[in-house]
Amino acid sequence: MPRLLSGALLARRDPRLLKIPPYLSLLLIIVGVAWLFMLPLDDYSRRTYISENALLPGQVHTYFGGSDQNVFRAYKHEITALENSTNAEANDKLESIFKGLGLKVGRQNYTYHSSGNTYAGENIYAILHAPRGDATEAIVLVAAWRNVKDEFNRNGLALALALTRYFKRWSLWSKDIIVVVPPESRAGTQAWADAYHDAHDSAKVASLPVKSGALQGAVAIDYPQEGRFEGVHVVYDGINGQLPNLDLINTFVNIASGQMGMGSAIQEMWKHTDRYNDRLKTMLRGMVNQGLGHAAGPHSSFIPYHVDAITVQPIGNGWQDEMALGRTIEGTFRSLNNLLEHLHQSFFFYLLMHKERFVSIGTYLPSAMLVAANFTIMAIHLWIQSGQRSKVATAGETDGKDGKDGADRQEQEAPSTDAVERDLYLPLGLVAGSQFLGFIPLFVFNHAPAGILTVLFYAFTAFSLLIPHVISPLLISNFKPTAQQYKLLSSFSLLLLGMFLSALATLNFSLAFLVGLLAVPLSFAYPVRNVLLKYAYALLLTLLSPGTVVSIAAAASGVGLDVVLREAAFGWTVWGMYTPLVVWCVWWPAWLVGVVVVLGRVQEDRNKEKSS
Amino acid sequence: MRLFTSVLTPLFCLVASAAAASDYHEQLVLKPLPQNSVLASFDFKSNTSVAQFEAHNFRYFPRSLAQILQHAGTRELHLRFSLGRWDAETWGARPWHGTKEGSTGVELWAWLEAGSDEEADQKWLTLTNALSGLFCASLNFIDSTRTIRPVMSFRPEGDHPNTTMTNMHLLHGVLPREVVCTENLTPFLKLLPCKGKAGISSLLDGHKLFDASWQSMAIDVRPVCPAGGECVLEIEQTIDMVLDIERSKRPRDNPIPRPPPGHELKCNTSKPYNSHDTCFPTDSLSAQEWTISQVFGKSMKGTCPLTDPAVPPVCIQAPHSRDVFTSAGVTELKVKENERCYLAPAEDDFELVLPHMPHEGENAKSDADEYVKPETPLLYAERSFTGHGQQRGGVQTIFTNPSPDTEVEFVYLESLPWFMRIYLHTLQARISHRTGSDKGETLAPEGDVIQEIYYRPFLDRERGTQLEVRMRIPPASTVFMTYDFEKSILRYTEYPPDANRGFDVAGAVITITTLTPNGKTSSLRTTGLLLNLPTPDFSMPYNVIIFTSTAIALAFGGLYNILVRRFVGQDEGPEVSLVRLKGKIRAAVSRLQSKTKKPGPPGMAAEVAGGKEKEAAKIE
Repeated sequence: MPRLLSGALLARRDPRLLKIPPYLSLLLIIVGVAWLFMLPLDDYSRRTYISENALLPGQVHTYFGGSDQNVFRAYKHEITALENSTNAEANDKLESIFKGLGLKVGRQNYTYHSSGNTYAGENIYAILHAPRGDATEAIVLVAAWRNVKDEFNRNGLALALALTRYFKRWSLWSKDIIVVVPPESRAGTQAWADAYHDAHDSAKVASLPVKSGALQGAVAIDYPQEGRFEGVHVVYDGINGQLPNLDLINTFVNIASGQMGMGSAIQEMWKHTDRYNDRLKTMLRGMVNQGLGHAAGPHSSFIPYHVDAITVQPIGNGWQDEMALGRTIEGTFRSLNNLLEHLHQSFFFYLLMHKERFVSIGTYLPSAMLVAANFTIMAIHLWIQSGQRSKVATAGETDGKDGKDGADRQEQEAPSTDAVERDLYLPLGLVAGSQFLGFIPLFVFNHAPAGILTVLFYAFTAFSLLIPHVISPLLISNFKPTAQQYKLLSSFSLLLLGMFLSALATLNFSLAFLVGLLAVPLSFAYPVRNVLLKYAYALLLTLLSPGTVVSIAAAASGVGLDVVLREAAFGWTVWGMYTPLVVWCVWWPAWLVGVVVVLGRVQEDRNKEKSS
Repeated sequence: MRLFTSVLTPLFCLVASAAAASDYHEQLVLKPLPQNSVLASFDFKSNTSVAQFEAHNFRYFPRSLAQILQHAGTRELHLRFSLGRWDAETWGARPWHGTKEGSTGVELWAWLEAGSDEEADQKWLTLTNALSGLFCASLNFIDSTRTIRPVMSFRPEGDHPNTTMTNMHLLHGVLPREVVCTENLTPFLKLLPCKGKAGISSLLDGHKLFDASWQSMAIDVRPVCPAGGECVLEIEQTIDMVLDIERSKRPRDNPIPRPPPGHELKCNTSKPYNSHDTCFPTDSLSAQEWTISQVFGKSMKGTCPLTDPAVPPVCIQAPHSRDVFTSAGVTELKVKENERCYLAPAEDDFELVLPHMPHEGENAKSDADEYVKPETPLLYAERSFTGHGQQRGGVQTIFTNPSPDTEVEFVYLESLPWFMRIYLHTLQARISHRTGSDKGETLAPEGDVIQEIYYRPFLDRERGTQLEVRMRIPPASTVFMTYDFEKSILRYTEYPPDANRGFDVAGAVITITTLTPNGKTSSLRTTGLLLNLPTPDFSMPYNVIIFTSTAIALAFGGLYNILVRRFVGQDEGPEVSLVRLKGKIRAAVSRLQSKTKKPGPPGMAAEVAGGKEKEAAKIE
């Protein structure tokens, strides 16, 4: 052991060690990315399983059907008649239906303002008291008037009503059942879930007049399509990439495929062969959804409150009718009703690559962590280098002459050369300044009216692409930064980036991974001397700037930049989505510093001064 | 049985002349409620004179319970088993003005005669443990953390002489987690003189009782001293339940609510889309037909021969316009407005039939013909948690005074577990007026709504919080009372097996001191709450233990060795016997070898072996 220690101490002084970090960094990035691509393989992913024994999915007979279909048809007529009526009129009608069933009805108004637009509406909800229960727990059934694509959820709402009427007949419910009908799927459920947990701003969102107990789960029906369907699409992404407990998804998939014999799909993969390519595609789609952190359906707003929720959408043309979907939901509710404890057994952090295949956090997290660690390693490397500035030149020379002799001399000289003082003020000031600058786009894009968002964005992108070219010459002419200062600048910026990303990886793996990957060139930024190379590097960084990436991604996905920006502002104000914060206050400042460093010019005269 | 009674009755009369003839009577009151529910209130009352009781002469008073009461020095006892929630909005005021109900689970309060608090605690322990055995309930879990001594909320119901009043201690305990079920009903019925074999108690069946939308079983024991008469000890057992008619009518062998055949659905034919396969249902609107045997699952088997024949066993509280048919031999008495009673034949089965009341067509009936309009309660109360997260939380209780002109005064009592650390300074009341000049919601001025607070803070693991608030609510207004609390982290072993479910918090007890129209106090209970505490991942401690143990074993072991042990050369240390033995054996072997191998130089093998040994460091 002592020998080992002394060996390590000796190795620490070896100058060759200082050359390792950039390669190590690169290796980490490569391993991190390769790791992700390994995940869909059979050896690295696992089959899903039901972890909570109490759920017993598919173990009960479901009886929804028969004459309930007559009732469903009647409700569908009622709902169709309300398609063009106002929110309040439609809710009046619903209230009379709910009251006719003997339920407690509540209504809630909300008004959100985002990007100059007003999102207002009235939620209506009905509580079916558990016949022998005590208002301690509840399950939620959501059916919005309109789904996220603004389609009229005709069948979904009629099905929810018919199911409610059917549920009322059972006496076995151990939890209250709350039927929530928001006017649309984006802000309505958010207002309701906020108010239910008293996390609402009472100026925008009204409090709920009646409440029940702790919410144990939520299922949203999104069923605008007509005719028979083939399978169900399970949407599970929550806000900020939070996910529901895997048991809930498994339960639904298990009931749908095992009991009802209908297919199920995730992440819009309608045809899934369960081979490597499809698994990878599903996983990457899931990661993009998670990384964006937006609400994928009316269920998303529940997940931040630790209420596990999914949205189910019938898809395709098959032979399944609405009663089959009703029975699947009945089965899911019976399973949730069996729960003795809050869903906690199974995973909350996972990547699904097939409806029955997943990787858990322990397996996938290293890939994002490795990418984030590369920044930290480079930061430490640059910090050490910045303290040994003169040595680089001398060591290089001596090494060329005689390796062993040089190393020996290095060892003796090390104490004297190591004591170079670091000039911290300029780098610290620049990094802090760029971090604060990041709040400007965050504020502007979240508060500007929708009409000028796109123009503003282009203007800001152009500005942010130009600003390094302004800062850099100013810096050079006014402060004459040394190589050490450039290294420190890079070091601080990368240190922050590495820290933020590794912390973010535990919260939102995908976002951390995506940002980390796009920020990889920043790791290797240094003041290049070759003019051609310098501008080539600057061009690469320009292409990978947050503004350009967002514009290109918006154009490539066909969504349109204005929609993306509006969604981001809406997400920030209504959902509490932090993706804009990460982009503008983590990624953008690091990028800015990176470009400034690349465009920088080390002052030769000072170098000479020092070496003489 | 009848012969037996007829022989014994004169004897009883001789023994207890003061107790009069009404030593035991029972009555069932049926009250149809809106939305096809019916409230069934069973009342069994028996008494024995205090002198007889003290002489261990119990008669109708159940001996098993009486002995416990005597042993534990109990002067007055109230025990409640409740399940479900009373829907005050639909069903109106509570039966018995809420005095015969408890919070969900089991609730017990009693006045014990004891010289000191310690003695009272001791007797309370005896009482809870004995009752626990008698009623098959976990009453023994009412320990010091669940026991409180209410100051303002409860008043003795019986007549106590002033001499004993001074020594009486009120103790109150509640088990919100206890699920009331058949095993509690059986001992309850056993206390009755007719034991569920005859009379109205024969209608009590666990399947129906525990399928009710709300039910409460109560036992009250109290001394009653009529003016000028001898004091008697009265035991009153009541069972109240709200039955959902449609659900109760389902036969026991086919309890699954399968969808009815399409032609049996009651449809709204006025809808334009109404057809053979499209039906807007109307079935929950009109009153359904029901009979006693349908909703209770069996018919009444005669009357209890021990009961006072003057008290009619079954009454129904419904408008006189509601048709009620009876089985043969039953006499109907119109007692008062909206109430009819029935004298049942002693031995025959008794049956009541309430036919279907069509709301349409000829002879259309309205809701007013179907049930008596429920009485508006004096106060509505609803309690829920606010906030989210693992650290802090809040409780909000909403009180609504529905009366347009009278204010209501009440005492609000909460018995909270110690791990819910409330911040009393955050207790505040906001008041919202529905009418008048100051319409809208405002923060109530100090002392306007909240009159008086009695607060006994929690002690960790020893006792819970007791909070009593006397409040007054002006007419036509709603008060939102809120307070915040902190969730404490329990010790690893203090979590129950289903820790992730949460912890039940008992319902608050509201004692309304404003008198009801007929001059009685009333009370109500809020629903219970489910408190989620921060819960550790229970598999994690094992991982941590394994991991840290390994780390300590490796790091500490190595470090300890380096620090404590001294390294010396082998020749410097004392010779260890085993090494010496080994050396001897080796020497012997080499000697043997040198003897057999003549050509080799003697002693060489031994030298090599010795050299090797010298190299190895010996550890002392």
